Formats: sequence, structure tokens, C-alpha cells
Amino acid sequence: MATTPEVKIARLLRIGRADEIGEGQSRGFDPHESGEDTMFVVRQGGVLQAWRNACPHIDGAPMAWRKDAYLNADGSRIVCHAHGAEFLPDSGICVQGPCVGKKLTAVPIIVDRRGELLVKEE
Amino acid sequence: MKIVGLDSLIFGVDDVPGAARFLIDYGLTPVDVSDAGGRFEAIDGTSVVIAREDNPRLPVPPAPGCRLRKTMMGVADGATLQAIAAELRRDREVRVLPDGSIESIDDSNFVIGFRTTVRRPFALPGEISNAPGSVIFRPVNSLGVPPPGTVIRPRSLSHVVYFVPDVLKAEAFYVNRLGFRCTDRFTSTGPFLQPAGSLDHHTHFLIGAPPHMHGVEHFTFHFGGPSEMITNGYRFVEKGYQAFWGPGRHILGSNWFWYFNSPFACHIEMDADMDLHDASWAPREAALSADASQTFLLKMRKKWAPGPGIHENGDYA
Repeated sequence: MATTPEVKIARLLRIGRADEIGEGQSRGFDPHESGEDTMFVVRQGGVLQAWRNACPHIDGAPMAWRKDAYLNADGSRIVCHAHGAEFLPDSGICVQGPCVGKKLTAVPIIVDRRGELLVKEE
Repeated sequence: MKIVGLDSLIFGVDDVPGAARFLIDYGLTPVDVSDAGGRFEAIDGTSVVIAREDNPRLPVPPAPGCRLRKTMMGVADGATLQAIAAELRRDREVRVLPDGSIESIDDSNFVIGFRTTVRRPFALPGEISNAPGSVIFRPVNSLGVPPPGTVIRPRSLSHVVYFVPDVLKAEAFYVNRLGFRCTDRFTSTGPFLQPAGSLDHHTHFLIGAPPHMHGVEHFTFHFGGPSEMITNGYRFVEKGYQAFWGPGRHILGSNWFWYFNSPFACHIEMDADMDLHDASWAPREAALSADASQTFLLKMRKKWAPGPGIHENGDYA
């Protein structure tokens, strides 16, 4: 007898408000309450882009040097503050440091009509 | 060559106020600091010096992206300084700077300096545990835990770890030209090196790495014991700084460790209770692995207490 396939409907988790991240700023989030920020969001040219907080140089290495500090001083590049890898904020490609050519892992995000920042529940 | 250890590490940074705040929160004392940079001292006067990365007075880094611009080593006396200058002048330029220190370059392109050490003698008790059967105890009625609010300060600049493209060449320079000794070694990774004027297990650790990683893995200061180190590290995390590895205890060197990300394009460590060795010590060799690197590794979690109202993992209510 055929069984009904299980259908999983992804829930959306609110992680914050989009307007709390200014131009050239970054912010870390822990949507699944792991105890440390597992992702971060960067705003560049008005566009929000989210990445896993995991440098491709050392699998899973956290990248900020202080809470929410994922960028260099002028906000032009994402930096892994373990060994100085620098990434382009729009593409996530490493352009300097120990993992040149590798890429950060993007995290899908949604901004709803009220300006809430949402991610899918894993 | 009576090199007694590291005296100072000089970095070029893109965010001087942020890096300064970081070093102060780590526990170092700011001395002569302005928006352009300055010096941050441990108790014995060893230090980290920062300047804006575009400061033309900074030496050039060994490779693009490396923020360490110079490693200043302390020597016992002027005779040692002269001996180092004479040795290095056999095949490279040695500059005498206005402050009397000398400056040259090692075989991995790191700028190195030497001066009569700035280290100030000081006397502070280290951590003593009340182990039954021991002949040394804390005095009766003295407390093992630093009281809340106790200022914890790093005592001395401990060691620096370089990523080098040719580890055999790099080791030969420090051993054959500057009188360092290998105390232990990770096979195919690199040696722990001790200068002749120090008993510390290492002041330098060299890691063979591809050219694009050429630079610094980490640097660290000694703290007064594991309780100081872990208390200070806990406070550091609570201020928002990002832990990378630890707290734990290494096997080679035995030092307690806690590594953090930093604004210096490398890790910064807090360490305590490193082994001391003299010339009678026979170097060990081990293959690098998690089991060979740490005897244990702890994982930090938020403060918690059993009892009513504490529900995270159950309680006694």
C-alpha cells in the first residue's frame, strides 16, 4: 500500500530587523540557539547578504574578532579574523589570505513587508 | 647568544581604536597611546605596539596581508647585541636605530630587532593549588579564586608562532645564527624553539605552510596561572570577543591555552604554566594531531547554577 510522502514545511525564524544593519555594517545571529553566532548579515550598496560564520580556511572557524565585527575598518571586505582571509561582501569569494579562490557559504534570508529579517528553520 | 625572549611585537592595523580597546580588554596597559597607535604593556614591560597600517615608519611585512611588522627580541647585554650584529652582518644588512637597537631580517622575511631587554624584574606569587601531600600550599585563609573585580594582567610576552614557507631554512636561521635550541617538534610541521637566555619551553614555534599563508598564526602572553587565565578569558568572551580554541592544556610545553580571533590577522592566546627546560632536556617529536596537541579541551557555556528558577538543563525545584 502506498504511503503518503512526508512533507516538511520550512518554518521561518525571525532573527531581527533589517533596518538595524546599516550600510557597511555587519551583524551576527544565532537563529538556532547553538550558543554562538552561526551566521552573519552584511549590508553593502543597500543590499543585505547573509553568510555562514565559517571560514573555508579551517572548516567551521568563527570569523569575527568581536561580536558583530566581520568587516575591515572601512567596511569594504569581510575578514576572517583568525588568519586574515579577506572576502568580497557581494560574492563571498576570498581574494586575499589562506583560502584565496574559496567562497563563503551563503545563507538564504528574507525581508518581509514589515522589515523583519527571516531565515528558514533547519 | 643570550637572547632572553620576546620584548615587543609591532603591528600595523586598519582600526587603531578598535585594536587598542581589544588589547586593553585583554589586560595590557596602554602607554603613550594616541589615535595613531602606541604601546600596550604587560607587567614586566614587554609589549605589543600598534600603528596605523599606512604609517611609513613601519617596517614592511613578510608577506601581503600579514599585520606583524617587526618582532623585537630582548638580549641580556650590550655584548650580546654586538655579537648578533656581527653574526648577521656576515650576509645581510643590520641597521642601528636611534634608540640603540639593531634591526635586520630573518630567512623568512620577518623583520627582527634586538635590544637590551626592557624586562623589569617583579615579584608576584603564581598560582598554587592545595594538593594533599604536597610540600607547597597556599597560606591558610588565602583564597584560590580571584575576588570579583580583581584586575588580571598579563605578566610577560610569551611566544610568537610564524607560518613560514621553508621551515627547515627558518629553523636553521634561529638555531645556527642566533643560538636557539629545539625543545620539541611536531613532525613535518615544525620546531618549538627556545633562545639561550630563557628556560621557557618556547618563545618561537615555526609552522611550515604554503606561501599564501606566510605570516603569523598567533602570539600570547603568560598569565599567573590557570585560574587567572580562565577568569580573564571568560571576561573577554563576556565582552563579546570571539573564542577560537580552548580553554585547554597543551602537551608539548604543558601550557594552559585559550585562543581568540583578533584584529591582527592572527590569533591571540592567553597562556599559563608553561614548562621550563634547560640544556639537559632531550627534545621530543610527535606527529601533529588533536590527541598530540592537547591533553584536554574544555568548552565554554553560559554561567549556570543548579536550583530553583534555573531551567536550561533542569533544576532541583
